[in-house]
Parts: sequence; C-alpha cells; structure tokens
Amino acid sequence: MSVLMRATEVIRRPVVTMAGEAVAQVKDIVYEGDGGHVGGFTLAGRGMFAGPLKVGLAWESVSALGSDALMIRDEEVVESIEQVVSRSAARRGDVLGSRVMTDDGTELGTITDVILDVTEVADVIGYEIDSSPALGKDGRRVLIPLPDTLSISGEALMLPSAATEFVSDDLAGFGAAVQEFRTRLAGGGAT
Amino acid sequence: MRFSEAKNHRVMSVGDATTVGRVRRFGVDPATASIAGLKLRKTPGEGDTLAWSDLEAFGRDAVTIGSADRITRASGHLERLLAKDHAVLGKRVLSVAGVDLGAVQDVDFDMASGAVLTVITDRHEIPGTSIVGLGTYALVVDPARP
Repeated sequence: MSVLMRATEVIRRPVVTMAGEAVAQVKDIVYEGDGGHVGGFTLAGRGMFAGPLKVGLAWESVSALGSDALMIRDEEVVESIEQVVSRSAARRGDVLGSRVMTDDGTELGTITDVILDVTEVADVIGYEIDSSPALGKDGRRVLIPLPDTLSISGEALMLPSAATEFVSDDLAGFGAAVQEFRTRLAGGGAT
Repeated sequence: MRFSEAKNHRVMSVGDATTVGRVRRFGVDPATASIAGLKLRKTPGEGDTLAWSDLEAFGRDAVTIGSADRITRASGHLERLLAKDHAVLGKRVLSVAGVDLGAVQDVDFDMASGAVLTVITDRHEIPGTSIVGLGTYALVVDPARP
C-alpha cells in the first residue's frame, strides 16, 4: 500500500516499539541517493527529556511509517547517529527554501515541504512550493511532481517544464499526477 | 462480559462467605491476550493483587476465591501488567502500520478463561487475537492477524 505524506509531518512523530513503548520521536529525516529517498531518521527524546539523542534509525530497521507513529520491532534496532548519517550521502535533503526552476527558465516558487510516497521504501516524489506568479495559482502553496532523477544544487532545483501541467493543490490525486508526469517524461502517454 | 460491567465487581471468599475486595483494574498479558490478574481495592490486608489462576470463578455478580490469603502483593511480571500505566481502558491503540485506531473504551472478555475477545475503541472493534503488544504508550494490534 502506498501512502503520501509531508516530510514536516513526520518530524516529532513518536517512535513506538511493537511492545507499545514510545522510545523516542523523529527529529529529522536523513535522505539518501541525492535526496531521492529516505535513508533513515535522527531521533530526539520525548516529553520531559526532549532533546536531540545521539541515536538514529536506518530505514531498513523501520517496521512501518504510519500516519500516527513510526513503528519499530524493539529498542535494539536503534543505532548510533553516525552509523545512520554516514551511510547516506552528505546532503540531507536540506531543500526547504530552495528555488524551483524549469528548464525553460521560469521560476515556479520556493520549496516549503517534501512529499514522500511511503511503501517498502519512502521515495521523494514531489515538493510543496510557495508558488510564483508564473504558475497562476495566486501564490498559493501547491504540489509539484519530481522526475525519477533530478538536477539539484544548493542554489536551485531544475525541473522539466512539463511539470507545471501536473501541479496539484493537495495530496489527494497527487500520486496519480506524479505517475502521469513520469510516464510523459519516459516518452509514453497520449500527448 | 465487559470491563465496564466487571469493574467494582465484589470479590468473595468461598471459605467464609465474606467480601474481601472489589475489582479495581485488569492486568492484560499481551503475550496470551488474556487477563493475567486483577488489582483490587478495599482488601482486608496489605495485598491488593489476584492472579487469574487463583480465582475460583469470575461470575456474573461476583469474583470468588478460596480464601482471602489468595490476595497477595503484586510482584514481577504481574505487577507490571497491573500498573496504572499499563491499564488497557483509555489506552491508545496503534496498528502495526503506525495508524491510530482510537482509544480503548471497553474490553469484552471470556469469563471462564480470561481471554480478551474484543477490544472496543471509539472507532473500531478489534479481536483480542490481534494484540501484539501492550506498553505504557499504546496497545499495538495487527488487524491482519485472525
């Protein structure tokens, strides 16, 4: 089953063992493969002892990332933070605030959130952006699909201009829009 | 019978036909999905714990035990299951997929065996056989488990 979620909603989500104990909360998402998918998480304490912990979770150790909790088998799967972060590329998907440009030179807006498609893996399939006037969305926040591979730097994210045709206003239907967009890029589809 | 009906049930000693306490709380063992013991109030001595295996019967109107000396002080595994932070009523229910299924409003159990038959939340009725774990944070269930 595939579930779409915003990365910012995953932050502070409780980490719960199958025995029903909340052992931590998600502090940050660690991205792998040039920010294309989630490699793991850094953790923070919960409640009175909230604060960054020196531990993390590799994606392989996550039993399920649900809408209300991140489930793990038991505390044993928690690793040192170095192990989790070192396995991923240096960039941690710090894309919030980056500009999104199309390859025909139009600025679409700035990134406010990362959209994840969670199955057995958690793929980055799109971004939520504060739209520029070029998108004609009255500056609203919209969702923009990503191709399978993308060109990104600390400065900007470059997208094929066709991405503007697959903009969504909310998560409902966005998964289908991403599929259509990627099919189009692959040379398939009717148009 | 439901926890809501069984709470405050009179506990009676068969030996001398006296009331020796009232049911205060249920300790559910997630490994067996059944009641492992009862926490009592208004007991004559310092003990306030009854293991399910020490019951004569869990009846419609009262719990019966052989004599008051069956009531002990909680220790070990049972003490943890009977602790307030493990109480099932009001507990958040999480699926193994990490989805909140509501808070436990009541539990239906088998009076003969103590087995949890159904966990009732504000949104779902979950078979006791789905129980995977019970901790201070949540009751974890696997709805795919028969």
